[in-house]
Parts: sequence; structure tokens; C-alpha cells
Amino acid sequence: MRRSLFLAAFLSLTLFSLRGDGFGQGAAQPVTGDWLLNHSLSDPEQLNPLTSNDASASEVLGYIFESLLQLDPRTLEFKPLLAETRPEISKDKLAYTFKLRRDARFQDGKPITGEDVLFSIKSIKCPLVDAPFLRVYYDSVVDAELLDPYTIRFKTKEPYFLNEEQLGSILVLPRHYYDPQNLLKTTGVRDLLGDPTKLPPAVKRFADNFNKNYNRSPLGSGPYKFAFWKTGQEVQLVRDPNYWGNGKAGVDQPHIDRMRFRVINNPDAALIQLKSGDLDTMELTPIQATRGTNSDRFKKQFAKYEYYAPTFSYIGWNNASPIFRDKRVRQAMTYFTNRQQMVKAILFGLGRVVDSPIYFSRPEYDNSLYSYPYDPKKALALLAEAGWKDTDGDGVLDKVIDGRKVPLRFEIKVNSGNDVRESVALTLQDELKKHGVAASVRQLDWTIFLDDVKNHKFDAVVLGWQMPATEGDNYQVWHSSQADNKGSNHISFKNPRVDKILEDYRREFDEKKRFEMAKEFQHILNDEQPYTFLFARKAVTPVDRRFHGVEVLATPTGLSPIEWWVPRSQQKYGARETAN
Amino acid sequence: MAAYLLQRLLLMIPTFIGITLLCFLIVHLAPGDPAELMAGGGLSARGGAGISLQKRGAVDQALAEWRALYGLDKPLHVQYLVWLKNLARLDFGNSFKDNRSVWEKVRERLPVTLKLEFFSILLVYIVAIPLGIYSATHRDTLGDYATTLVAFVLFAVPVIWAATMALVFICGGDFLYLFPPGGLTSIDYARDWPLWERIKDQTWHLFLPVVLLSYAGFAGLSRYMRSSMLEVLRQDFIQVARAKGLAERVVVFKHAVRNSLIPQVTILAELLPGLIGGSVIIETVFSIPGMGQLGFDAVLARDYPVVLALLTVSALLTLIGILLSDILLAVVDPRIAFGRRIQ
Repeated sequence: MRRSLFLAAFLSLTLFSLRGDGFGQGAAQPVTGDWLLNHSLSDPEQLNPLTSNDASASEVLGYIFESLLQLDPRTLEFKPLLAETRPEISKDKLAYTFKLRRDARFQDGKPITGEDVLFSIKSIKCPLVDAPFLRVYYDSVVDAELLDPYTIRFKTKEPYFLNEEQLGSILVLPRHYYDPQNLLKTTGVRDLLGDPTKLPPAVKRFADNFNKNYNRSPLGSGPYKFAFWKTGQEVQLVRDPNYWGNGKAGVDQPHIDRMRFRVINNPDAALIQLKSGDLDTMELTPIQATRGTNSDRFKKQFAKYEYYAPTFSYIGWNNASPIFRDKRVRQAMTYFTNRQQMVKAILFGLGRVVDSPIYFSRPEYDNSLYSYPYDPKKALALLAEAGWKDTDGDGVLDKVIDGRKVPLRFEIKVNSGNDVRESVALTLQDELKKHGVAASVRQLDWTIFLDDVKNHKFDAVVLGWQMPATEGDNYQVWHSSQADNKGSNHISFKNPRVDKILEDYRREFDEKKRFEMAKEFQHILNDEQPYTFLFARKAVTPVDRRFHGVEVLATPTGLSPIEWWVPRSQQKYGARETAN
Repeated sequence: MAAYLLQRLLLMIPTFIGITLLCFLIVHLAPGDPAELMAGGGLSARGGAGISLQKRGAVDQALAEWRALYGLDKPLHVQYLVWLKNLARLDFGNSFKDNRSVWEKVRERLPVTLKLEFFSILLVYIVAIPLGIYSATHRDTLGDYATTLVAFVLFAVPVIWAATMALVFICGGDFLYLFPPGGLTSIDYARDWPLWERIKDQTWHLFLPVVLLSYAGFAGLSRYMRSSMLEVLRQDFIQVARAKGLAERVVVFKHAVRNSLIPQVTILAELLPGLIGGSVIIETVFSIPGMGQLGFDAVLARDYPVVLALLTVSALLTLIGILLSDILLAVVDPRIAFGRRIQ
């Protein structure tokens, strides 16, 4: 709780200073105009709102498409966007009814109706559409119907506390654009659940067309229209002057005329481009943030913003291995890991130690968790208690397990090319060597590494997870059922009490009760140490000082360029045209 | 000659099929699963994040659907035959990443790479041939040693280092701003700029990449040129030319140089596939969307159709290049005549 209070205080401080700034210059009223040169580390793979599956694409698509509900970046609550209000939920928690607002329009001027929402969920559920990974989220949707042209009701398989959020974040696609022949008209959501080979030919025609011909020309209802995409160079969006939300209360008002996402694969090259004015903002690597961006010239041109992205790194111990199935060994490993020092030396201080898989600014985060300090003595005591002794004098501890003498020797796997993870593994290896634990570090190509992780072929791995900034569901990663069949519980953590909590959690609609469950869950993990939780990294993003209204928010992206604007006198590009 | 040509062309077919079979096997049997990578999403191994937490649910079902969509659920030999059949119709299939046809993706990037490679090869020849001639005619002088030394030093400088240094020091970071730090055109480049301005802007952007692509090639070609030149200069007809009282300039450029260019023809076999290969390093440092990046990303993502298309095309170009250089040799050097020897 203290943490979120701290964050709130921090946010309001930024707000104040910005207001002060604005009033001082007499330019508090945002104006339109100018361009924003954004940085993308890689080209989007495609710009199809359903079949795209990468970070670059979802950033771009976020400006073009809108959903029924929207996350308020300040309260982290969902608020209506294309819907009039939040949905009405039936007593049995199975039906969700959304009423659409009537003044919303697509970028081609056509109104948004229930038909478009129905079409959107049908395209997601259609097994022939190349969106299997998105479909996973909508597994629970079993039916959808229009009650009137502006009211849609979704039916779900089982009560689940995240249903509202997931239904609310369906991107609404214009049916007349993505399915001009109305091929899905006679097929309902229910019909799409059966055997894909028995679907009518019209559905197959629709899916083939949708998969193939709509990947580079998105059309939605958002504040920015797609302008062009030069593969490997940039994606350019232009502000829609006829955006339906212009001047509407509660809808984000865009100001920047052009959003340009420039593709630069190499972060060092990107920093040079930033300095020479070819980029207005980018996320810095830790070393760039601490060295090379501190000159007076840099500070004069850019303001640096810092925030914690909701991610964390960890060392995962294979809980099924003979060595690590004893929780005392896992606890000992955490005591051996000097996490504070790692933050200082590896992240250049740009991070903080974490002790739980839940984002630390969430209200369900438990601040009373024990934060294991660096304490090799305690670690050794725990190992001795667990029966590890150097009986043969070879300098490595050993123990008889299942009638066989096992030395305390294991391998830490990391994916090659990730310097931070490699440094973590090497630092720990070095520490362990001093105490009679023989760890080796092995670097593997990402694809091979992923295979090993999924098949549980490892003793220890260094990895990271992304967390939602909203309330998350820990079932996928911690429930014992997810340990088999290549699920995400790749460390084979199996705890009956945790299983029970996670099952109940999904069906509990009372937030207070859920938060209590989350706390118990975190306490069990804290004691079991299935992972050694490492740290959350701080992102550092410089933004050209001509942009006003820049604010650090609690969303995963931290900054929200849609709110930025440039005073007329400082506009660099005005309304000039660019290459097409 | 015609019979010889036909024989060579027919021989190319089994060679080519053998190459495709090998490539297909290596690409498909290399560890790593494209479906699994897709499920990981765009959160690449480079980022701090890892696998997205929420997406890992009923992923197995999703993976199976995805494999079926791209025909990866069939046995390997069936996949190869299907691929070969499509190849016969010049269809390389669709990329796993964005479901676009591989041709389309290549077409988009080929012009940039062709431009870069063409100019850099041109630069190599423009610099290295005169350098070789100079070294040969001034054999064992200080000038010969100095040019040789410089050429070899350049040969030894790693391009990634040179490119990074250039980027840091002369591309507008904290130091000089002589060249743009990347891309193909300026930020505010527009099609309605006057032609001259557009050419100037593009040249300014291409200059550094072209120079960096070529400098390592100076040493090799100038050495070839030097030794073949020396060999020709020792020939009797050169002595005859000198004895006739021809000016040294005429002896060197009219008689020696032309004859010593013949062996350079064989280098053509390497040039053809090189033209479309591109350079991952230069393209990455200077943010140029060329063929090198396409191939590199495709390998990392296990995008089989793209990798196979690039391998197949460059194998084909190598075969054609070898054949062409053999034919050209016969054309420029009357002493070589393939047809007669067979009889």
C-alpha cells in the first residue's frame, strides 16, 4: 500500500510542475501541429489488428483502433470508450451486455454499430483467421448477439474476474471494410466453435482474404489514420481531423499532426539519431542512461523521464530436480544472490529488487514480504541443515539423494545476447564457487533456449516476465496443471494450497477478497522461493523539450504521447508533407 | 561450344536440386521452432521482458492451429516435395511472419541492396585496378610498399568497428555532423523536392555505407591485378612493344593492362550472388532496409520460406556466375576452347 501511495504522490508532483511551466509561458492551452519522431527497435510484422503479434505493431495499432473500454492511465480503472458505460453483468456472471455510444464513427465517416462489434468477435473466434494466440484470451466467449443495433450481449463459459476487461478490450473493426461482402453474416459465434473443416465455404473465403489482404492498410476509429509504411524504415500515422472524439469529454484529445515510428534496429545508432535530431524520443539502455546522455547539451535539448515498466527478472529453479526440490536449497540460493549489488553493478542503479510476481505498485502487492538479504552464512547454514556436506574433500558439497551421492553441481542457462541475464548468472556463479557450490553458465540461442525451458531441460534459468499493470491472473504460471504439457509453469512448481487459491481467484468477483487471496499466495511463494526474484528495471526515456504535457503514467508504456503537444512558436515541422 | 553449353546447363539441374535438398534439410532440422517463436510474440530475446505472461494459456492448441495453417504439421519429405513443386512455378510461398509472399518482400528490399552493392563494387574496381597497375609498374619501390601496406591495413579493419566509429564521430552525435546517421533519405524528404535536391539527399545518405562496404575489397583485387600485370609485363610481346619504341604509357595501358584484365573475369562468379546478399552489419548500423537484414531476421525467426528463397536464389546465381565466367573466359581468351577438347 505504501508503494502505491508513494507513486501517487510522485505523479501529482509532476503534474504540478508542468502546470507551473505552462502558466509561466502563457501557453497552457494545447495546440495542434508538429510531428513526433518515435523510435521502433524493429519493424512491425504486420498491421492487422487481429493477426499482429508483436510489440511494435501493437504500439502503432493502439493509435488507429479503439475498444469498448479503455484503461485510464491515471486510475488504472477501465472506463468506457466506444461503449456508453461499463457493461451490465448478469447475476450468474456469465452474460455481459454493452451499450454502444451513438456518436462514434470510423475514419471513413461510417458510424460504429453493434454489427461491427459482433463482426469483431466473430473474426477473433473464427478458427481459420490467423490469430490463434489472440483467440486464447477469448476462449471463454461462447456466444454473442445483438439485442438492438447498438446493444451487444456476450455469453461466457464460466465466471471469470477478467472477462469484463477482456471483452472490453476487443478492438472494434469496421465490418464494411474488413468483410465488404458480409461473408460472416449468417455464421454466428456458436457456429464457429465446432470443427473448422465443416465451416461454410464463405467463412473460408472471408478468412483467406482477411489473413492475406488486410495486413498493411489498417482502418479503425482511433484518432490517427494510417498514412504509409515503408518496410524497414518507418510507419507514419496522421491525425484524423474528423476524429469522432474531438472535443468529447472523457476521450483523449490528440494534438500532434504526425506520428512517425522510425525503425532503427541498433540502440547505439538510435541514440546518435536522437542527438542529431532525427528522433524525438527513445527508450535508453541502462548504459546509455548513465553515460552519454548527461552532457549539458543533451540536458538542454531533452528531458529524461524515468518509470518502472511492469516487468521483472528472475532465476527459475527447476523444482522437480533432485537438488532444488528441497525448498531450503532454493532459499539458500536466494541468500547467496546479492540482488542489491546486481541492481547497482548490472543495471547501473536503474532498477529495484522485487520479491513477488505481482507488480509492486498494485494494491494487491504485499509489502510485508520478507526480502531475502545477501547472507552467505545463512545460506550455508540452510544447506548444512538440508544435509549438504563436502564428504570427499573435492571442494564441492554433496549429499546422498535416493541412495546416490549427488554433488551440488548445476548449470544456469541464459539466452545469448542478453547481457543483463548473462551478468546475473556469472555473478552468482562466482559467489557460489566461494562456498563449495559448482555452478556453470551456458548461453544458448533464444529459440533453443526456449525449447529447453518449455521441455524443463534445465537446472536453473535466468528469465523475465512481463506483468499487466492491471490486475493479473497468476494461474498460467503458478498452477500445477500448467507444469505439464509445456505450460508456463516451466519450473514445475506444485503446491496444493496455491492451486486452490488460484482456482478460487478466477471465480471471485469481490476485489477485496481477491486481494486477500493474492497476499496469501505471495506469502507462500515468499517462503517456497521457487524463483529467486531479482529486480524490476527502470526505463529511462528522453523526450525533446519542445513537447509539452509529457507525464509519467502507471501504464506499461509509462508515457502517453497522445497527450503531448508543441506550442506554435516551437513547432519544428509545422504541417509539411513528407515522402510517400 | 553449343554442345558444351547444353551439357553444362543440363548438369546444373541435378546440382541445383541437390543444393535445394541440402538447404531444405539444414534449415528445417536446425534447432528452434517457428511456431514457438511466434507464440513468444514480438518480445524478442533482446528485451528485458521475456514471454508475455497472459498469452501462455491454451497455447498448445494455438500452436497446432498455426502449424496446420502453414503446412508444418506434415512430414518433412512431404513438405519438401510441396516446396519443390511450388518452386517449379517460381512460387516461394509466404513468410511466416506476415503472411506476405516472399517475392513481394524481396522486391521491396532488392533495389536498395542492388544500389549499394553496385556502387561499392564499382568503387572497389575504380580504386583497386589503378592501385594494382601502379604497384606492378612501380614494383618494389616505396610507393608499391606503401599502397600495399595501406590496402592490407584497410583489409584488416573490422567493418563493424569502422562503421561504429564513423557513426559516433562524423554522424552528428556529440562530434562532427558530416554525414547522416542512417536511413536512406532525410526526415523531411518529400517527393516534391526538385530532382537535384533529391539526388543530393540520397547520395549524401548512401556515401558512407558505400565506402564502408568497399574498403576491405581494395586489398584483394589490387593484389590480383598486380600479379597478373607483373606476369604480362614479363612476356615477350611487351618487350617487342618497347623495342618498337612505343611510349611506356602505351605499352602499359594498351598492351599490358588489357591482357592482365582477363583473369579478373573469373571473379564474376563471386559477384553475382554478392549483389543480392547485402550486409547485415552496415544495414544494422545505418538503419538501411536491405537484403542482409531480411535474411538475418528470417534466420533468427526461423522463417523457413524466406531463408530457403534467399539460399535458393543465391545458389542459382552462383551457378550462373560460374557458367558465365567460364564462357566469358573463352570469349576473351582465344586459347581456351571448350568444345574441341571433348571431341
